[in-house]
Amino acid sequence: MSKSVRVGIITMEGTNNELEAYLSFLHSGANPEIVHIKSFENRRRKVSDFDILFFPGGFSGGDYVRAGAIMAARIKGSFIREIYEFEGEGRLVMGSCNGFQVLTEIGLLPNTKGDHEIEAALAPNISNRFEARTVYLKINRKDCAFLSNFKVGEIIKLPVAHAEGRFIPAGREILSEISKRNLNALSYVDPRGREAGYPWNPNGSIMNIAGICNSRGNVLGLMPHPERVFYPYTESDWTRQTEHEGMGYRFFKSAVDFVREKF
Amino acid sequence: MVRIETIEIIGRQDRELSEISRSFSLGLSVEEMRRISEYFQREGRNPTDAELQALGQAWSEHCSYKSSKIHLKKYLMDIGTKGILSRGDAGVIAIDDKTAVAFKMESHNHPSAIEPYGGAATGVGGILRDVLSMGAQPVALTDVLFFGIRKVKGFPSPKFIEGGVISGIRDYGNRVGIPTLSGGITYARFFSPNVLVNVGCVGIVDRKKLLSSSVNIPGLKLIIAGGKTGRDGIHGVNMASETITREEDISTVQLGSPITKEPLMHAVLEANERGLIYALKDLGGGGLSSVVGEMLQSGGMGGSVYLDRVPLKVQGMAPWEIWISESQERMLLAVKEENENEIHRIMESWDITSSTIGVSEPGRRLRVFYGDEMAIDMDIDFLTNPQPYDRPSSFKEKRENTVIPKYPENIGKVILALLGDRNVRTREFAVRQYDHTVRGSTVLGPFSGIVGREGPTDASVIRASWDSYEGIAVGHGFNPFYSYLDPLAGGADAVDEAVRNIVSVGAEPIGFSDCLNAGSPEDPVVMGEFISMLRGMRSVAARLDIPFASGNVSFYNESGKRRIPTFPTVMAVGKTKDIRNVLSPDFKKISSPIYLVGLPTSDLGGSLYFRTIGVRGGVVPVSNPDFLSRRVRRILDAVNSGTVLSIHDISDGGLATSLGEMTIGSGIGASIDISPFGLRPDFVLFSEPTSSWVVEVKKEREKEFLEIMREDAILLGHTSADSLVISVGDERIASIENEAIRRRWKGGFR
Repeated sequence: MSKSVRVGIITMEGTNNELEAYLSFLHSGANPEIVHIKSFENRRRKVSDFDILFFPGGFSGGDYVRAGAIMAARIKGSFIREIYEFEGEGRLVMGSCNGFQVLTEIGLLPNTKGDHEIEAALAPNISNRFEARTVYLKINRKDCAFLSNFKVGEIIKLPVAHAEGRFIPAGREILSEISKRNLNALSYVDPRGREAGYPWNPNGSIMNIAGICNSRGNVLGLMPHPERVFYPYTESDWTRQTEHEGMGYRFFKSAVDFVREKF
Repeated sequence: MVRIETIEIIGRQDRELSEISRSFSLGLSVEEMRRISEYFQREGRNPTDAELQALGQAWSEHCSYKSSKIHLKKYLMDIGTKGILSRGDAGVIAIDDKTAVAFKMESHNHPSAIEPYGGAATGVGGILRDVLSMGAQPVALTDVLFFGIRKVKGFPSPKFIEGGVISGIRDYGNRVGIPTLSGGITYARFFSPNVLVNVGCVGIVDRKKLLSSSVNIPGLKLIIAGGKTGRDGIHGVNMASETITREEDISTVQLGSPITKEPLMHAVLEANERGLIYALKDLGGGGLSSVVGEMLQSGGMGGSVYLDRVPLKVQGMAPWEIWISESQERMLLAVKEENENEIHRIMESWDITSSTIGVSEPGRRLRVFYGDEMAIDMDIDFLTNPQPYDRPSSFKEKRENTVIPKYPENIGKVILALLGDRNVRTREFAVRQYDHTVRGSTVLGPFSGIVGREGPTDASVIRASWDSYEGIAVGHGFNPFYSYLDPLAGGADAVDEAVRNIVSVGAEPIGFSDCLNAGSPEDPVVMGEFISMLRGMRSVAARLDIPFASGNVSFYNESGKRRIPTFPTVMAVGKTKDIRNVLSPDFKKISSPIYLVGLPTSDLGGSLYFRTIGVRGGVVPVSNPDFLSRRVRRILDAVNSGTVLSIHDISDGGLATSLGEMTIGSGIGASIDISPFGLRPDFVLFSEPTSSWVVEVKKEREKEFLEIMREDAILLGHTSADSLVISVGDERIASIENEAIRRRWKGGFR
């Protein structure tokens, strides 16, 4: 019998990708639960109740200040220690879109110095617009718990939908650490796999960074949305493709299998 | 101490009554004021300010449909009614034994003309609440927009309005996390300064959890939940029931808050899932006044409401202001007493303000209090039922003026001009700002094709549930250019187009929602056009037996001498048993046979071709419902038999534009011969025949396809590698590279 993998999907007002995240984990055989941030704040729930934490996309708190900042402030004001411990044990944390912004704001990514300082920001897109499109991505790492089903160098397609996704490190040092340790787990490319500018890089991210995985390989943040293409029938070009596994399925299955094997 | 004033109207002269209506912004006519005065004479007292304001709301054109009611009933309401599960704030139609779709389209025209950002955003908010009111989970938003071209003195510029409307839809839709999937943008001189914003929403509901808004037993607690009540949006319905004459007071436009709406949606659906809600309605036009009145009236109840229990944004609001405020993000729940506390607890858990403000009672009396003071004490049937109008109408003699333009020198140039026309070229500048993949169920969005070079789609498709392959399609039909020349043909063709779009993706149309846009109903010409439009819509919908399950009417879209054509935006909803059979319009394979389903026409009145070459008038093509019905059946059979690779309907710009659009997302060209039609080549290529599609067929299944389609399919040619080549017999009349087509259609957008 396979072990139950407990996934906590953390939400607050304005979070709006929790449904597809929930279904993606459920259909990967995990045991997901949508948990309001309040439940951690008032100690009704503990982070250690879970094997995987997922921070979904959306506009937490309306994102009327910097994206992800309101949710990060609430977490830092109460249960941040629990999350650091969770991460320290090698358990899995993932955030997509607004969730990536939150993980950056609470210092979980890129965390090159290991001190959970804020080392980067996700700034407004260079087009200065919300961008909803499908992008081509190159997989740069395999030693990330969410990417074990992919090959290094593989080109995949995922939807993006955000206004603030331009990854900017706080300084040249951090950028060179990201590069040296290969933290740039997924990068925006053109259809032939070459790093290219707008619109292939939809937001103007430095080094075409689309997603960052920490050195240890247990925390992934990315702007694209694997949870929206769990099955192939919601991929934007599926009517031109033959039968294949959904792109999202490969991400979530990878994480769930990792937990089953390691914990 | 808040004052409730008594207004003396009994025994007043007509002139004085009309002055009272004006000074209190009631928007009521002298005849209506006289009827009110007679009512209060029978009551033996003069009305309070709150009572007069409540009547101004309930009897407004916007809330009461007093000018359109008898016509809607006569022409639309009786069609296909057996398929309708409910006709509440949204229409509900079953897709199988367990699940139903709730959907509605409505206009938010007047607010958007004054304050485009807030107007459009609250339009989205309002339509979401309409679908939520049925107990349904909203799954798709749509918006059909009509912008002017020239600036009119005293009004904001069309560019400013367009920017505001698009941003409003983006910021609201994206923040509530419901995908904006389908719609349209039309630019025409008619829409300066009367911009139209028609918004739609589709939701999914478990048939067992379907909610009504009718309060039909006494003792139900009335609970207001969501946003607090303020002074924003006072007299909005009255403003929407008048012509626009100036930049109106901005206080009539409400302010939206998607971050209140998002949890409100969750909370209401949670309470419904647990069976705790008896009846539900959203607070839109007319605020509490309309909602309490309609909920009690439809269930044959009376009730009492206590305005001092309504949570307020600002202190010092007069009772009448609380009663008619249109502040956003509010819902009214009617619940049994034993569930009252649990409802408040659920709201609290989502950080939502809620308060019990009243109770239903036997009898037909509505009593509204502020503390110990009585603000309203009226017969509810009188309050909610204004006298319907059968307004005078006049019909213009239809002039059949056939126009024969000069044959164009360069067909290829015309094709590119049409593909690059502002009403055809890509809408990505707007639509890529809308999140269309959130909720992870978008099977077909606004664009399809090779990633990075997508072309347009005809309709969108949503997966109904991750546990089944059922899908719901949503698309639209509208053509103000046709309606301007011929309101009847325009009405019929809008329904035809909505049906075509649904069928193009391989879904079966099951219901319509109609947003009827017009000028002042007090103008007999407008009423005549309105009736003609309804006749046209009826002719097609009745033949197909597909109901108009919901909709709205927006009159008074005029200012000074400028008025809009009288035309419908028709939203169609369809279903498919298996989303894996859904088709997109991009060509799939080189060397596939291409067929035309339908026939080109020499009626080009109102067509994009005529507009482009500057021909006015002409005969507008009109839908033949018998052909439509037969072709719909056959196409769906062909799709379900797996013989089809791609389909695209023929609309603005005709056959040539449809072929061009099919090359965009695929990079696959076509080579066709139009000699079999025996009609002028420009008419074959650019006429916009109704009930017509271009179909790419699987080569190895061609025979089967023809057996299904019979006389309805005519071979055009086949798909090819790099360009669109058009010949008449041996003579090649146009050859355009795929890339040139794509560049024109993209218009510089990347």
